[in-house]
Amino acid sequence: MRMEITERLVDLRDEALSKVASAKDLEELESVRVAYLGKKGALTAVLRGLGELPAQQRPAVGRISNEVREALESALAERKQALEREALERRIAREAVDVTLPGRQRVLGHQHIIHQIVDEIVDVFVGLGYRIAEGPEVELDYYNFTALNHPPEHPARAATDTFYVRDMTGASSPDAFDSEVLLRTHTSPVQVRVMEKQRPPIYVLAPGKVFRRDVADPSHLPQFTQIEGLVVDEGITFGDLKGTLERFVHEIFGPDRRVRLRPHFFPFTEPSAEVDVSCAMCGGEGCRSCGGEGWLEVLGCGMVDPNVFRYVGIDPERYSGFAFGMGAERIAALKHGIPDLRLLIEGDMRFLRQF
Amino acid sequence: MRVSLKWLKELVDVDLPVEQLCDRLDMTGTKVEQVIKTGAALEGVIVGQVLTKEQHPNADKLSYCQVDVGAGEPLKIVCGATNFAPGDKVPVATVGATLPGGVTIKRAKLRGLESEGMMCSASELGAGADASGLLVLPPDAPVGLSYAEYAGLSDTILELEVTPNRPDCLSMVGVAREVGAVLGREFRAPKWALETSGAPVERDVAVTIEDPDLCPRYTARLIRGVRIGPSPEWLVERIVAAGARPINNVVDVTNYVLFELGQPLHAFDLATLARREGVVEVVVRRAREGETLTTLDGQERRLSPDMLVIADASGPVALAGVMGGEATEVSETTVDVLLESACFDRACISKTSRALGLISESSLRFERGVDPELAALASERAAQLIAELGGGEVAPGIVDMYPRPATPRVLTVRVGRMNAFLGTSLASDETAAILRRLGIAVEGTGDALTCTVPTFRPDLEREVDLYEEVVRIWGMERVPSTLPGGRERVGGLDAVQRIHRRIGAVMRACGLNEHIGLVFEDPRRVELCGFELGPDETLVELINPMSSEQSHLRVSTLTGLLDAVSHNQRHGVTDVHLYEMGRVFRTSAGRKLPKERLVLGAALAGSWDRQQWYERPRPLDFFDAKGVVQSLFDDLGIEPWRLDAAEHAWLQPGRAADVVVRGEVVGWIGEVAPRLLEAFDVAGAVAAFELDVKSIVRAAGGVRRYDEIPRFPAVKLDVAFVVSRDVPAERVLAAIRAHGKPLLADVRLFDVYVDPDDAVERRLPEGTKSLAFSLEYRAADRTLADDEVRAVHERVLAKVCSEVGATLRG
Repeated sequence: MRMEITERLVDLRDEALSKVASAKDLEELESVRVAYLGKKGALTAVLRGLGELPAQQRPAVGRISNEVREALESALAERKQALEREALERRIAREAVDVTLPGRQRVLGHQHIIHQIVDEIVDVFVGLGYRIAEGPEVELDYYNFTALNHPPEHPARAATDTFYVRDMTGASSPDAFDSEVLLRTHTSPVQVRVMEKQRPPIYVLAPGKVFRRDVADPSHLPQFTQIEGLVVDEGITFGDLKGTLERFVHEIFGPDRRVRLRPHFFPFTEPSAEVDVSCAMCGGEGCRSCGGEGWLEVLGCGMVDPNVFRYVGIDPERYSGFAFGMGAERIAALKHGIPDLRLLIEGDMRFLRQF
Repeated sequence: MRVSLKWLKELVDVDLPVEQLCDRLDMTGTKVEQVIKTGAALEGVIVGQVLTKEQHPNADKLSYCQVDVGAGEPLKIVCGATNFAPGDKVPVATVGATLPGGVTIKRAKLRGLESEGMMCSASELGAGADASGLLVLPPDAPVGLSYAEYAGLSDTILELEVTPNRPDCLSMVGVAREVGAVLGREFRAPKWALETSGAPVERDVAVTIEDPDLCPRYTARLIRGVRIGPSPEWLVERIVAAGARPINNVVDVTNYVLFELGQPLHAFDLATLARREGVVEVVVRRAREGETLTTLDGQERRLSPDMLVIADASGPVALAGVMGGEATEVSETTVDVLLESACFDRACISKTSRALGLISESSLRFERGVDPELAALASERAAQLIAELGGGEVAPGIVDMYPRPATPRVLTVRVGRMNAFLGTSLASDETAAILRRLGIAVEGTGDALTCTVPTFRPDLEREVDLYEEVVRIWGMERVPSTLPGGRERVGGLDAVQRIHRRIGAVMRACGLNEHIGLVFEDPRRVELCGFELGPDETLVELINPMSSEQSHLRVSTLTGLLDAVSHNQRHGVTDVHLYEMGRVFRTSAGRKLPKERLVLGAALAGSWDRQQWYERPRPLDFFDAKGVVQSLFDDLGIEPWRLDAAEHAWLQPGRAADVVVRGEVVGWIGEVAPRLLEAFDVAGAVAAFELDVKSIVRAAGGVRRYDEIPRFPAVKLDVAFVVSRDVPAERVLAAIRAHGKPLLADVRLFDVYVDPDDAVERRLPEGTKSLAFSLEYRAADRTLADDEVRAVHERVLAKVCSEVGATLRG
């Protein structure tokens, strides 16, 4: 009897181990386990029969049967691990992708290059302690011209240059020269409005749309974007203006660019200057890109004219100030090589998505 | 202003290269726009000396010469002319030179002998009609010098941009004075001596100024017995260099003096002026209503009382300061010349010139301002030249009506304040020296300098104007750069500006690209779209638009966005996602300035992305636009908001809604009406919206409070309601939310089903739809038991069904 049961255990072990070894997948392996070690399994049945053995045989047979069970369990575990590894490897092989396929992208929109430039410049001046001011796009002649020291016969007031708007108060005849309402030709009226409302110190930047009666062509638009700055405080000097603009140029165009102020004339500043930036291509030597000049004009500026202060009731003996203005379109054209300004207003997705 | 360098050098020493002169002028406020070299056509034509002259072996009429041109081997030249001998100096066109006739000189074989150039006749050089032989030059002509230079043909013309504040620089004398100041060189004023004879001018001429405000000074001079003829070469050369055309000696002299001194002059033929009691009475007055004048250019001009005329007893004979009359102009038969040298009001000349569309060298100068002190001086100069060139005699005296004499302005420069203003540290004497260079008389040595400004600088009106003079001559490049030191300031964007930036950022995160459209609008398009204006509102109208398509201002960004969609489609781009944040305009009777409103507009066409390998593109529609609005409101913390189905003329009915935030309509959303798509030449649907930015900013949430993250698990239950098709989903959702309190934590609509029109088997009762929701129940303080949730859920469903007339879908 003892021999018998021992032999059966050994036979079962060999049979089971060979089945474990030949199990092709986890499912088959599980059925092997169930067939031998399950509740109704062959080995379980044998072990269950141990109780019927004479007491003196039990330890020996018990030991063998434990050995058989352990051998089988460890073979099962080993095989399971191997099969799992194989299964994982197969899955990994199956899941390999062509990493060069394009990504699934949520395509982001782009900010218009003009407003990128405006924001960039705004940020530079915010860093220098400025706040941002806005004003109406349809303006009064007073703010656009008169308070900015333009004499009545100033050529900028001509109906060939400035858009005039029908005055709905009936105060003026339907003649361009008579209307006191117009599309602002620069953002300077914002400065006047700020000075009317706020006492110095004033450090403001006024970006916005402006309008001039130009036919749209590669270098002109009837509507474009200006950024103007105004500082009014005690002890402001022409040197402060120079230093401020140099800082601006270095931030926007790069620290290696040089700046030069050329005396000029504007009705609302005195002294006035045009500001040139050295050409990025030749560094000031003169090349094809800058038309041989070596310099590119980017700004107009000057010390606020005392007449302007008088219009807004600021004492020019106590305060001084400077103002400057530039066109965002011109900066875009210079900085990004945009050959035709009309691209800026067409809304062409192929253009908008470049920047 | 065109400046001949040759002429300029007579008035001031210019001893530096042209490039450096231009740089100095640029950097002191007179921009040199262009440098033109004249005489360039004769480049390569050089003064040569004939060394040998032999008979050409193969041609009787040709000679074979060796010619020294100052450099290298003598040139061997075959020549057909006979009027020269060895030793003669002649102009030689070397290989590569192009002659005025267009001939380019090449190396050529003539009857077997090579010729390395050509000796020229006067006609070949464009220097006269003589073609009979070579132009033999005087023996002192330097061999090797360019012929153009030798003959004085070459000159350099500087085109100056003269800013409106510097009328003095519209003359050679003014430019020379400026150049002298800039370079620190002596300016030499032109000099002349006038001889007079015969009866005094007063015998023949009297002047009355009726309107001294418009004419502060009028002078008249008489030159009798003039012979009209062509001007000499030197004068023609100068006025041509300045940009005028030679006419006759008298007119040319008036132009010459205009360019030289900056005083516009006019010459009348005395015989054509009406006399009364033997005297020509010149009257300066406003034109009378209905008067006309035929100007020099042959045009009849209708005059009005805001124009100033020069009149005689018969009527207007010239438009003051703008142009003379045809009937009284100097002609070949003129004998006695009445010379006008006057000063007119800037604004009046500007208005007249603009009103008539007539711009002349004269009006350009008067518009900017002419020094009244100049009138008599210029008159004398012109009279002297006319007499010299035309052989007449200048009548003694001048009629000089000068009711408003100019007085030199006296200004004080406080050197200390100037330095504080400029950020410089100039000494008093340094400052005075710069001002003196500009012709300003300076007295005093301390901080206060008393400056007497000459009348030719009307722009120097205030102390600060003199600061500018000092800094531009001293050099803006020398001013040390500093930054303002003001302490009481903090930079930054305000709350509204920050939200504006945020709105743009959300639009871009949603995939929209920013567009900047023109604010101009065609009223016909506004009508076509059917945009709603208030009862008393109208479009903002431009008085002088560029075209009828741009005659008004926009009331919506939609038209511009549709233009952009159309533009893209025409260029093969079908996926278009655009937004614009810009102002729209409307006005009403009684308003001066219109109402400006900032709006956020958007248009979506095509799909989000072109064909991809991972998904098929889906056409964009109403709900894509709504999703963008939803993202924006989520980001800005705007709630509650909803869409109310609405009808708008520009939107497709049934796909149009008002955007309502906290009960206030803040904009519209929808798909653009098919008839508009056709009108704007757009294919496929366009989903669009426009929101009032101010309302959005106002509704944007402030500080967000922390919401506790749930600690206990939720129970999720799904349900589908079958409701009538006209029941909005929002109503069902609202009912669920209302009745689900307090345990319902979240509800989501996850399916909408409607039987297709052509369905064979109907799954739902006629006229109904199925809306499926996922409901999430949760308590903040415990894990919910299943049966508790079931009971609540059943109750919620029953209440919702009875409220919205739904049944549960099995």
